[in-house]
Amino acid sequence: MDGANILIFSESSDALVELLTAGRALCTPAGGRVIAIAIGPTATASAENCLARGADEALVLRTAAESLPGAEELVFGLREAVRAADPDTILIGATRIGADIVARLAQALEAPCASDCMTLRRDQDGNLEIERRIYGGRFTARQVLTGRPRIASIQRNRYPKAEPAQKPHGSIRELAVTLPPPRVRTQATSPRARSAVDVTKAEVIVAAGRGVKKVEDLALLDKLAGALSGVLAGSRPLTGDVDWLPTDRRIGLSGQTVKPNLYVACGISGQIEHIVGMKGARTVVAINNDPKAPIHAEADYTIVGDLYEIVPAFLEACERAKRP
Amino acid sequence: MTETAGASPLNILVCVKFVPDPNQLQADANGRPDLAGAPFRISTFDENAIEAALQLGARHGGRVYGVSVVTGRMPPRDVLLRALAMGLDALYLVKDETNLAADPYRSAAALAAAARAVRDAEKIPSWDLLICGEASADQYNAQVGPRLAVALDLPAITYATRIEVQQGRLVANRAVEERSETLETNLPALVTVGTEINQARMPTVLQVMGAGRKPIREIPIAELSGFDAQALGQRPSLRTIDVSAPPSARKRVVIEGKDAAELAAQLLSRLRADGEVKF
Repeated sequence: MDGANILIFSESSDALVELLTAGRALCTPAGGRVIAIAIGPTATASAENCLARGADEALVLRTAAESLPGAEELVFGLREAVRAADPDTILIGATRIGADIVARLAQALEAPCASDCMTLRRDQDGNLEIERRIYGGRFTARQVLTGRPRIASIQRNRYPKAEPAQKPHGSIRELAVTLPPPRVRTQATSPRARSAVDVTKAEVIVAAGRGVKKVEDLALLDKLAGALSGVLAGSRPLTGDVDWLPTDRRIGLSGQTVKPNLYVACGISGQIEHIVGMKGARTVVAINNDPKAPIHAEADYTIVGDLYEIVPAFLEACERAKRP
Repeated sequence: MTETAGASPLNILVCVKFVPDPNQLQADANGRPDLAGAPFRISTFDENAIEAALQLGARHGGRVYGVSVVTGRMPPRDVLLRALAMGLDALYLVKDETNLAADPYRSAAALAAAARAVRDAEKIPSWDLLICGEASADQYNAQVGPRLAVALDLPAITYATRIEVQQGRLVANRAVEERSETLETNLPALVTVGTEINQARMPTVLQVMGAGRKPIREIPIAELSGFDAQALGQRPSLRTIDVSAPPSARKRVVIEGKDAAELAAQLLSRLRADGEVKF
């Protein structure tokens, strides 16, 4: 379809400028416009950032509230944007908030939706073809979304952030919309513990799993990470079921996707949920006392042994090697 | 606690999906998933959904029902019984042998119609709470819960890590990327949950056998009032055109050694040879 409009939205400004790149790639040689929508307290800054990075237009929906509206109200606002922009494709960042709103928006628009997409392209019929992981990440599905609009949520870090444009040309359009009163009310909110490091940028990751028995034992793995000039991360049991590590250090389907040069999995069984997050590592080491643990099949080097013996020995070997 | 436990019993519907166990799913010679070779299980987060419902039921009284859209092959009876053995009062299966409900839009439409059908069959005036897993273990779309809430016009809280019912309201904690939240909404409502909310109970073999006395009721999807397969068939869809396993190119070298020190030394020399360790 010529001149198709691509509508992009994320509550995360980093995700939004990645969507700008993803949306641009879907534009046909015949044309197409990438329209960003910004809602809430940071809407103007977000819209201006998108325009500076080459968005063709930015729709701004101002809200009275100091914080981001709830999913239901966001979807109400997005539907207004859909009416204003008449997009053929809607791209949303695959955060948890994003996953929630794509599904609601898709249902409200009776539209097909693909979640957590890795790649997007327009097929020869003008439909949207995507790739995403299924069966816990072991398999990749190629899927087609027909009709208009079609909706996709895009994984973080799949597309580079759009660079500042040589000649920004887009303009802001205000949407005069009053969001409905929320049916889900916020009683309390607190910022989550955040890491000083970004695991997605780490060259070396030491990852802890259920095999770690006590929270204090993470210090040992953190030391190893330090010796390897890397960072400590963990699987879902350590970053969710218990709160031993901040969630932004969770590697896996419900967490971060990482591509370090070296990934040392300690006491991680290798549930598919986890594997999908670390598949992109260049070299994988698995230390696990269960010879049948699936992690061994996903590793370049395997040590079947107790991490409480192997990790101190490996740490010592590293420290000895580093001594002048 | 200001709770009026027992004063107002809850009618809870849990949406359950039976899936080929992703951890036991192998690729066939062509790299396609060998679905027939993988045993069925209750989708991981749906076990947490059942557990969450049972805990609320134990506290407030009331009944907990399960509903599942079974697209394609029927899961074996022992897997169905397992859901009942956990403690569901009855399990309703929407049989969809011709894949009419194969994408999230259609699954949500089928579940919305089924929720009303089960409500009427059980002579329940209204559901108080619907609970879904945050995503299914096979397709992982994470869409059906929020879609179902829209289809039934219910307020929804996704990714709950703790839920309570207090005087006709649902209070839930949840965590999104940047913050933790405590949210509340009036019942009826829908909530989606993951593994953080609880440890799902594991029924014993005896309990599974005993669950055979509990009702499993089948509803052919064509008989589901409000599910218009023909109209839905005309609507846009999400269609899978290919599924393949990316080949694993790992070396799979098992490091050997007589003790931890030797294993560690071997590993270090391998990583140095590969250039992954620079010291």
